[in-house]
Amino acid sequence: MTEAILFSVFSVSAVCFAVNVIFRRNAVHCALHLVGVLLSVSGLFVLLNAQFIAAIQILVYAGAIMVLFLFVVMLLNVKGESPLLTPGAAKGFGFFFAVLAFVELLWIVLSGGGEGAAHPAAALPPGFGSPAEIGRILYSTWLFPFEVTSILLLIAVIGAVVLAKRKFA
Amino acid sequence: MDIAFLIESAVKVLIVFGFVLAGVPLIVWMERKVIGHMQDRIGPQRVGPFGLLQTVADGIKLFFKEDLVPAGADKVVFIIAPALPVITAFLALCVIPFGDTVTVFGRQVPLQVTDVNIAVLWILGTTSMGVYGLVLGGWASNSKYPLLGGLRSSAQMISYELAQGISLVSVILMTGTLSLASIVRQQEHLWFIVPQFFAFVIYILCGIAETNRAPFDLAEAETELVAGFHTEFSSMKFALYFLAEYANMMVVSGIAISVFFGGWHGPFLPPVVWFLIKLSLFLFFYVWLRATFPRLRYDQLMAFGWKVLLPASLLNLAVTASVLALAGAR
Repeated sequence: MTEAILFSVFSVSAVCFAVNVIFRRNAVHCALHLVGVLLSVSGLFVLLNAQFIAAIQILVYAGAIMVLFLFVVMLLNVKGESPLLTPGAAKGFGFFFAVLAFVELLWIVLSGGGEGAAHPAAALPPGFGSPAEIGRILYSTWLFPFEVTSILLLIAVIGAVVLAKRKFA
Repeated sequence: MDIAFLIESAVKVLIVFGFVLAGVPLIVWMERKVIGHMQDRIGPQRVGPFGLLQTVADGIKLFFKEDLVPAGADKVVFIIAPALPVITAFLALCVIPFGDTVTVFGRQVPLQVTDVNIAVLWILGTTSMGVYGLVLGGWASNSKYPLLGGLRSSAQMISYELAQGISLVSVILMTGTLSLASIVRQQEHLWFIVPQFFAFVIYILCGIAETNRAPFDLAEAETELVAGFHTEFSSMKFALYFLAEYANMMVVSGIAISVFFGGWHGPFLPPVVWFLIKLSLFLFFYVWLRATFPRLRYDQLMAFGWKVLLPASLLNLAVTASVLALAGAR
């Protein structure tokens, strides 16, 4: 019962914040509502027994990445929005992605509602979601994707350094 | 979840809340007295015995001041911003253990609001959210000096958070747990300041930067930025920023005590008293620093964070990990 109430609170607030991210004109307000989305989603993670992911979500996304977002938005002093696309093109893109999302959802529902719905009461293995367990599977089952991600991040770091250097050379 | 548990938690929350609200005026008084004597002055002495009630008087004065909102300000954000750092400071204080488990009315009560198994991450997360109060306060004022102060604080936080987190990771490697209660319990015989001295130095330097205290108080450098991010804030909004700064000092000190200085462990005296003694020493250290060091220049601050503290913390982490692996501890 408590879980159902908390789930509704977090999911409704996540959706409301997400809608606001799109509809707000002021870039800083958009960023703040995005922080709200991240916090609500981390609440959902806690309900899913993934406290570690929830904490990392707050620490990395809400606490660091969004602060940098705000930093850039404030530094450039973005006033209002400057449309990237013409209204007609934007509507076309919007329609295309809406149809895509609808087809995707329809496919998931028709094919049995995804894995979660097929096994609604699957018991959690002991230590599920704990930092130790996540660390163990990251370094065993998912070692390859994990290392690939680290190389990707390394490339991004080197790229940032190269781009920053070039400006002053 | 029974009623007794709810009452126990509510009481503990109220104790911590009340302790911070009552402690902050005392710390401010201590700061003014200590800095006064360090600068060969007397400090406050008119209101109450030894000037003890001076900060209470200041608080009442702030309470009755006019609450201004600048005409060009973003009203909603301007009102929300001062509350954010206070909220995050209290959230962080929730997981700091201030004493051993005691028995009250036949119940085992751990002296800590709640012991989450990811306490260290929880603290890093909440303190990293606290910067929003400063950044948004600076932005919402719609005025140039506060904006610069807010920008500075965001860059400063991002830079110092990394080294702070990594310095704590090397202790976590030794303990194998993220729960502050068990980290404290493991320090019964040896405080982690001994094997992790460098981690402590890095942590406390970052902590001073995180709380925006001298010599790292670039966000409110009054010689350059009037009063930085809180220039436009008056009355209780300013008081909230003030409260948050001191509450955050308590948070940083509380973590340093729990992770490096054995938490509530200590001989003869009861655990809570030991925690309070260590807390007072840390707060005195903060004041001592402020009275001793001049403020850094902004580029020096950033260079120090990225070129000294971050590599040092990574090196410390690598050495800790290697030693633990060679010793076969984990």
